[in-house]
Amino acid sequence: MGALYDERHYGYSLVRVLSESGSISLKEGTVYPILARLDRDGLVRSEWVESDQGPPRKYYALTSAGRQLFDALSLELDVLVSLVQQKWKAPEQSGNNRKRLAVRKG
Amino acid sequence: MRFEKGKAMNPYPEVVAKIAGDYMERVKSQLRLVSTQEQGDFLREIESHLYEAYQQMPGEDDVARILAVLRNFGEPAEVVSDRLPGALVRSGTKRNLPLYVAGGILIALFGLPLGSAGAGVLVGLLAAVAGLLVAYYAVAGSFLLVGAVTMLMGFLRILLPQVFERLVTLGYIQFNGPVGEFLDNFSPAYQGLLLILFASVFAAAGWGMLRMGNHLLRGLRFLFSLTFDWMRRLGQGARRRLRREPRDEPRLSRVSYVKQ
Repeated sequence: MGALYDERHYGYSLVRVLSESGSISLKEGTVYPILARLDRDGLVRSEWVESDQGPPRKYYALTSAGRQLFDALSLELDVLVSLVQQKWKAPEQSGNNRKRLAVRKG
Repeated sequence: MRFEKGKAMNPYPEVVAKIAGDYMERVKSQLRLVSTQEQGDFLREIESHLYEAYQQMPGEDDVARILAVLRNFGEPAEVVSDRLPGALVRSGTKRNLPLYVAGGILIALFGLPLGSAGAGVLVGLLAAVAGLLVAYYAVAGSFLLVGAVTMLMGFLRILLPQVFERLVTLGYIQFNGPVGEFLDNFSPAYQGLLLILFASVFAAAGWGMLRMGNHLLRGLRFLFSLTFDWMRRLGQGARRRLRREPRDEPRLSRVSYVKQ
């Protein structure tokens, strides 16, 4: 959904964008069920566009509902990430405190 | 631009077209329960992807290139998973087996007998309508036959009165009762004309019935197709209800995240 936020893509170009970003490795065909579901839920809109390089391409772009959902999910993810980071930091801090106390005692 | 076997317009080398065509057939076979329009749309999209991926795939060996494309694309079952009715793709998910068993018992006890009765009534009605149609055409045919025979007799009475008389004597032609008494009031020529007149009325009635029968046939064909279509939809609806699963969030389980 992030890849479709600012520009429209067709299936193959979306796969290229996702794989070139290097963060996601996936079977190329699996994007189509996801796109179909997003389309069915009204989160993306699609249209066939003729291509001079071969068969027509089906382009997808986020709808306003899709953008809203993506924004909301991004916020949720940020919250989750910050929570996880806090949990990771907490034991480190408590460990440092213990060390300091130990130094003081010594 | 389809990956169809043996099509001259196919832009791929023959062996590549065959491999890709086989793959598309496998995808298509997985989409049997999807509507034709959605099926066509989806297949076009995959074809477009395969075409472009094939063009972009480096290498000299065409077969190796298309195989690499298909390997990267994934198995047909994975690709079509979200296009299928829920029941076909929830392998591995929890199934409410006791609920299914209870549903099966209820259907066996109540649904099937009631359904059979309903189907029986429906079949009876359709058979009655078909019987009426047959009877209608039988009457139309009789009218035409009577018209033709009577007309033949009329012409015979006018043109060959001796032959007509001979046939009456032999008993092949019989005019008894009021019809015979009525005809006896006229000369042979008038009798022939009257017979031709009667014959024309019968023939016209038979011909008219046949003409109207076309409309009747069309109407009944519509009625039959409507009924069968309704039964098919009813069956599909029931099957869909039985197989329906609750919708959940988009499944991303097949997407694996690579550690950076």
